[in-house]
Amino acid sequence: MVNFTVHNHQLCVGRIEVLGIASSSLLQVGDTRRMALYSMFDTPPESVIVGSMAPLPEPEGAEAAVGETTVTDFL
Amino acid sequence: MKFSNRSLECFPVRTSEIAFVNVISLASASIVQIGDRGSTHAKLRALAVQRKEDHSTAGEAYFESYDIFSRPWPIISDPWLQSGQPDNLNRCNHSPRISVGCVSVIALSSSSSLHVGNSYSVVGEARVKHIRQFPQDTTIM
Repeated sequence: MVNFTVHNHQLCVGRIEVLGIASSSLLQVGDTRRMALYSMFDTPPESVIVGSMAPLPEPEGAEAAVGETTVTDFL
Repeated sequence: MKFSNRSLECFPVRTSEIAFVNVISLASASIVQIGDRGSTHAKLRALAVQRKEDHSTAGEAYFESYDIFSRPWPIISDPWLQSGQPDNLNRCNHSPRISVGCVSVIALSSSSSLHVGNSYSVVGEARVKHIRQFPQDTTIM
């Protein structure tokens, strides 16, 4: 059994300077009951492909998948 | 430590006060909100492809090809933490406000948010996959 008591006294901040907020992150001035921030970032050594320009792998049922050509059709 | 009677008074909610907000750039489903918010579910899926060829000649990139976009999130197996609000968590706000003089942000992007106020639940999910494809220089070999 854990008893957890928080006392919030005065909170005054002069200046907050941030260069960038990106990728589902959050800067909040206020209170939040519940917060969960997840991040997956994949840059493995295999992501660098040096060689002949082969096309990237297509998934199963690539015809049905939403790709860039489907988007450029509207342009 | 000794507190006066006034400092032991508990306020149910705190109000956020900001004198000045300065944001230069806001892009790609980002939010600047002044006021309270119920729940946030910010999601980002990004395939960052860097290559010499044009996408129309080198082929398309699909999210479905990479399992990072469908992989489940790791589970935190802590029932006390997962229940969100345990019964034995007490809070007491001795001051009714949070004061900030100035907030300056150069850029917000990719489902991020700058929020002034209270909120109930925030869930943020970001999945980013990088691919760099460089052609081999055959003139050197």
